[in-house]
Amino acid sequence: MAKDLKFLVKDLKAETIRAAQTACVEIMNGLVKAGPGYSGEFSSAWYALPRGDSPGGPRSRSGLYKYDLRNVPAARFETSGMWYTIVNGAPHADVAMDLTPYVYEEFSGDAIKKQTRGFRLKNATRGDLSGTSGPNTQTAPADWWPTYGVGGALNKDLAKGFRTGFKAPPSFGTARGFG
Amino acid sequence: MNYQAIRAAYEVPIATACAALSPAVPVFFDNLAASTLTSTSEYVMVNITFGLTTEVALKADFDYVRGAIICRIHTPKGKGSVRNQTIVAAITGAFQTLNATPRAAGAGVYARVNQIDGPTFDAPVDLPHYIGRFSCGFIASVYP
Repeated sequence: MAKDLKFLVKDLKAETIRAAQTACVEIMNGLVKAGPGYSGEFSSAWYALPRGDSPGGPRSRSGLYKYDLRNVPAARFETSGMWYTIVNGAPHADVAMDLTPYVYEEFSGDAIKKQTRGFRLKNATRGDLSGTSGPNTQTAPADWWPTYGVGGALNKDLAKGFRTGFKAPPSFGTARGFG
Repeated sequence: MNYQAIRAAYEVPIATACAALSPAVPVFFDNLAASTLTSTSEYVMVNITFGLTTEVALKADFDYVRGAIICRIHTPKGKGSVRNQTIVAAITGAFQTLNATPRAAGAGVYARVNQIDGPTFDAPVDLPHYIGRFSCGFIASVYP
C-alpha cells in the first residue's frame, strides 16, 4: 500500500529515536553484565543523557538492575545535533570503574556476582588484585569499563540495539510513510 | 591467536619510550608487582585487556583482536604536573609512531591504537602519588 512521501522524514525521525532508545537500553544492560555487582546499587545507576546533564542516583539496591525503554524516555532524543552520553550516577562510580584508586567501603551480605579473591596493594584500583586467595575481592575484572568501551562489546551492543529498535513494533506498524 | 605477540607489540614501544626519559621511569605491565619501589618512587603501570578476538563471517570466524590499553602514571605528589605529563607525552608519542608505521611484509603482528581518552589526573588524599591516567582501544592482526 502506498503512503504519502511527506511523512517519510517524520517517520524516519521517530524510528531513529526508537532505535537510539533501544541501543541505550542494550548498552546499559551490557554494562550491567560487564561491570561489578555487590548490592546492585552501581548497576542501577546508568543514565543516557545529553552531554553535560547530571545523572540521578542509584535506582535500587536489590539485585542486578534490568533496563528497559522506560529508563530512556524518547523525549531525551528529540533535539537534533546533540551528543549523548551514558554515565553512572552511583556515589562510588569512579572506583567501580577503576578510574581512581580503591577506597574501602563497608559492605555486608553476599555479593550478587561471583567474587574473585586476591590481595589489593595500596594505591591499586578495585580490580587490581594479585594472587588467587586473599582478603580482598572483586566481582568484575580490572579495567572492565575501557575494555567494554573499546574492546568491541560496545559496538556489538550498539549495533544490536539499533537493529532491534528499527525492527521493533509498534512504530513500524503505524508508520504512515511506509506500507 | 598469539596474544603474547600482540602484548609485545604494545609493551615494547611503551617500555622503550619510558627508558628513553631522563631519568628513566620503571614500567610495570600486567601481573608484575611494583614491589621494588619506595612509596614515593615514580612509575608507570600498564594494563592491557582483551575485548573481542574474532568476528563472525559467513564461512568461518576471522581474527580481529580488539582491546584496551590503560596507562597509569604515578609521580610524587606535591611536585607539580610537569613530570607526569612528560611521561604521558612520551607514551602517547610512541603510540602515534606505532600508528604511523606501515605493516611489515610477511608474518607478524600489525598493531594499531585508536583514539586516546585522557589524560585525567588525580591526587588521592591518602596516597603519596599524583596519578595521571589515559586509555585507548587497540586493534591488532596477526599475520602467519
